[in-house]
Amino acid sequence: MSSFFESDSLQLGYGNQVVISDLKISLESSKNYEIIGKNGSGKTTLLMCISNNFIGNTFNSDIKRNNNTLMEIGSMPSLIPMLSLIENINYFLFKENINESLINKILIKYELNNFKEDLIEDFSSGMIKRSEIAIADLKNPDVLCIDEPKVYLDENGIQLLLSLLKKRESDGNSSILSSQESIIALDNIEKTFDLND
Amino acid sequence: MIRKYIIKKETSLEFRNNTSLFLITPTMSVLIIVFPILSENRFRVDDDLFLIVELLFLILFTTLFSIRNPIDEQRLVKELNFASIQKTDYFYSKTIAELGIFYPQIIILLILFSGFTDTSLNSPLIYICLSILFFCINAIMINLFFQVSTSFNSRFVQFTIIVPIYIGFAILIAPLWLGVNQEISNIYLLMYLGITLIIYAFTNFYLRSAK
Repeated sequence: MSSFFESDSLQLGYGNQVVISDLKISLESSKNYEIIGKNGSGKTTLLMCISNNFIGNTFNSDIKRNNNTLMEIGSMPSLIPMLSLIENINYFLFKENINESLINKILIKYELNNFKEDLIEDFSSGMIKRSEIAIADLKNPDVLCIDEPKVYLDENGIQLLLSLLKKRESDGNSSILSSQESIIALDNIEKTFDLND
Repeated sequence: MIRKYIIKKETSLEFRNNTSLFLITPTMSVLIIVFPILSENRFRVDDDLFLIVELLFLILFTTLFSIRNPIDEQRLVKELNFASIQKTDYFYSKTIAELGIFYPQIIILLILFSGFTDTSLNSPLIYICLSILFFCINAIMINLFFQVSTSFNSRFVQFTIIVPIYIGFAILIAPLWLGVNQEISNIYLLMYLGITLIIYAFTNFYLRSAK
């Protein structure tokens, strides 16, 4: 099984401040992982590094990646506030060339169909997260990283997220979840990185 | 590679954000109308003053346009990764989008300036348009390069870095606008083309080699 992210001694931080030090990590394709830790332990930093969104200091850590498609649903939304939901979907999924009927089907599934012409800046945090999950469902990346999966979502949103994670698991795609404690959303978790240790 | 969907997105954002279209351009237009009355108490400016002030207006307008919407590096990285877009594709597509927004505005600005000060540039129209085109491309690429490849996202730092570079670009335009003979104008345009190619090559190399 090939690793999509690997480092023997991962060190991450901001400026000279080290957040994560000497972490041996190897993440394999088609397997699920979990990152847990208290506030400030470096969960988001690690998740951002895995998803290639980290712009802090890597202290010349030897990081190996392969060409898997990665997607991160993090604390900071990726959607563009000044565009409508459908414009965001068309922009973020341009390469995937997804047909309109499938987009509509997913929007109905995520109960976003009535809001597709609305600007993202008018959305609540929960709606933005729901939209990002819908885009992840359409895009179906090899690796999906989600920071604090349940935050901002209502009960229905959580159920939709759990069903997406189950579907990804059965399709053989990787998911990486980061939260303060294990949320038991995945059946098979290859490894849990406990950053409290 | 230039991507149509990035250009479309940037253009839509510009029309909705509208800082340049509805704030900067009208402000500059008012300044242009007021300037000759303030400086010479009439709608006519002396030729020696005209060129230098037009260049200053050009630099001021370009600077305001450049700092209108600073790019947040973290947000940009997230957006590009979310959409699986290469930084180089984004850079060149955004350059084209900004050129499409900025070039017509700067031409309108120059027409307004000539009109309201009752003076004109001494070069043929094609030389003026080409010199402005090169100025725009260079200014946009330099501004984007600093924003995409550095962590500076404050307007003040951006302003401090880019204004001296814009002054350099504007100085190259001055002989073309003064109306030197055709051979010298051609040399200046070729020089400007060379500078544009160097900046393109450098940004291309840097963006492709950066991890």
